[in-house]
Amino acid sequence: MSFAGDITVAVTFTEFTQPEFWISVGLIAGIYTLVALGLQLNTGFTGIVNFGQAAFMAIGAYAMAILVVDVGITFWLALPLAILITMGFGVLIGLPALRLRADYFAIATIAMAEVVRVVAQNARGLTGGNQGFACAADDPTNCYFSTWRDVSGSINEFVESTFWSDPPSYFPLFLVVWVAVIIATVGMTYLQGSPWGRVLRAIREDEDAARALGKNTLRFKLQSLAISALLGSLGGAFLALNLSTIHPLVFEPLVTFFAFSVLILGGLANYKGVAFGAILFWFVLEGTRFIELPDPPFTETRIAALRLAITGMLLIGLMAFRPQGMFGKREEMVLGE
Amino acid sequence: MASERSGAASSASRPGAAEAKASTNGALLDVDGLFKHFGGIQAVAGATFDVAPGSITALIGPNGAGKTTLFNVITGFYRGDRGSVRFDGRDVFGQPPYEIARHGMVRTFQITKSLAAMPVIDNMTLAAPQQPGERLRNVLLAPARVRSNEREVHEQAMELLEIFNLTKLADAYAGTLSGGQRKLLELSRALMARPKLLLLDEPMAGINPTLGARLLDHMQRLRKEEGVTFLFIEHDMEVVMNHSDRVVVMAEGKVIAGGEPREVRKDQRVIDAYLGAGVGSPGGGRRKK
Repeated sequence: MSFAGDITVAVTFTEFTQPEFWISVGLIAGIYTLVALGLQLNTGFTGIVNFGQAAFMAIGAYAMAILVVDVGITFWLALPLAILITMGFGVLIGLPALRLRADYFAIATIAMAEVVRVVAQNARGLTGGNQGFACAADDPTNCYFSTWRDVSGSINEFVESTFWSDPPSYFPLFLVVWVAVIIATVGMTYLQGSPWGRVLRAIREDEDAARALGKNTLRFKLQSLAISALLGSLGGAFLALNLSTIHPLVFEPLVTFFAFSVLILGGLANYKGVAFGAILFWFVLEGTRFIELPDPPFTETRIAALRLAITGMLLIGLMAFRPQGMFGKREEMVLGE
Repeated sequence: MASERSGAASSASRPGAAEAKASTNGALLDVDGLFKHFGGIQAVAGATFDVAPGSITALIGPNGAGKTTLFNVITGFYRGDRGSVRFDGRDVFGQPPYEIARHGMVRTFQITKSLAAMPVIDNMTLAAPQQPGERLRNVLLAPARVRSNEREVHEQAMELLEIFNLTKLADAYAGTLSGGQRKLLELSRALMARPKLLLLDEPMAGINPTLGARLLDHMQRLRKEEGVTFLFIEHDMEVVMNHSDRVVVMAEGKVIAGGEPREVRKDQRVIDAYLGAGVGSPGGGRRKK
């Protein structure tokens, strides 16, 4: 290593003292919490491995945007409608795919997510394709985020006049997302504690046993997938509101696997762990931005790759020492097989 | 009474028969001319037999006779090729397993399906039929009703666990139980589903004789007190001869004999079937792994 002696690694800690850093990490972590809560329901509690969460996010985002800009209905109606559309889509996909064995279902969901993304890239009339989607072609004031920006502005005016003179523009979205995260986490925990949730766990353990006891397992799995679609589409819509353009690349399969990393960090079969997993994951991924290495040899692209590598090593380390994640139950992992 | 009938004497199933709670001959389960093949293998080749209400009926036969496949077809886990299965006056052939279980025909499995990563008590409460809390609508809109039903179900479950001496293990994960305890759990869980007919696939396999004896006592008691009917697959001839009142014998996918244990034991076709399969006489008391 000829250059080994010359390397100076520096991490600037000043960024970590800025509230903007924490709020932007918190915002993206909150969105991924919603998305991963759906995966928790599917994978952690129903035993169906859903690799297509990015598709639900994409449909939620695009449906909301199209309903606002092209159909012209109000944002407040468009958002719940977009969620309903995504849930319906989830059921349509689930009807044939949930009859497959768990591993084939997982493959089918990846395919579904890619089909959705490729359609979004090519159905240019509907989604704007690779140009992205934001506003009506003939009216630059008619954008999918217009209503939200107005509301967001009023919230920030209120914040400025009360406790914080200089909030970042995404502070209101951060607040809304975390309210949604709390409601979703409490709600999912409540559902899981019900007899309905018990049937889901039975399906995770052994679907035949559940069927032998009179449970229509397909119905429960469809409900599980539909609720996951609800959470995914809500996350997708929030993600879109945080951007100024919806682009197909936002919904790459990588997004789903980030959400799975969040899930594993937080721990399987535990809803409250998801938020902690998301914060840890995004803190590491964003925090590693501030590692300063000499250029050359560490060019910007190399450092970007290095950040992912560090995050990956963190995951591997956690799996080695704490396979159940931060909040998962070890018994439920060990006894699973 | 239950009797072994030839395939030709099929029971005339009249769809309009309103009074038919049991089929024409009074049987609780009436299987007629049932076929199931896998590729070129005819696993069940025209099985015909019935199970009288309140009986303990043993299903025996050499390895590969098609007993478990027959169970799977009767309970809807496999789709049969043709034939008829009538249970409690209903045609259940081709119905999905959960429907059949809801009619009151509940099965256990050869390899116990205790839900390992769930506590024993959840295994039990899961099985209660018609729970309002299994519908999301009720969970969200009628939580009081769900809670009160849940209390009842929990009470029933604890009563059953008490009977099976599993009370102390109620909060343990089912995966931590011994093999024998799992068998007991699976039986008591099946009882939570309020069955009219219990199909047990080798309930004695892999458990110690003391526990096995207790299991048999439970079967006798449940039959007497709750009127539960049993159909069970068993290889231990001693158990079959001493604890069942009807025996159905299968070989090569067909039912070759049926009747009281003593008659069946002497039946030349039965002896031939076992000898032909090269596993000794049915009195041998052999146990399948």
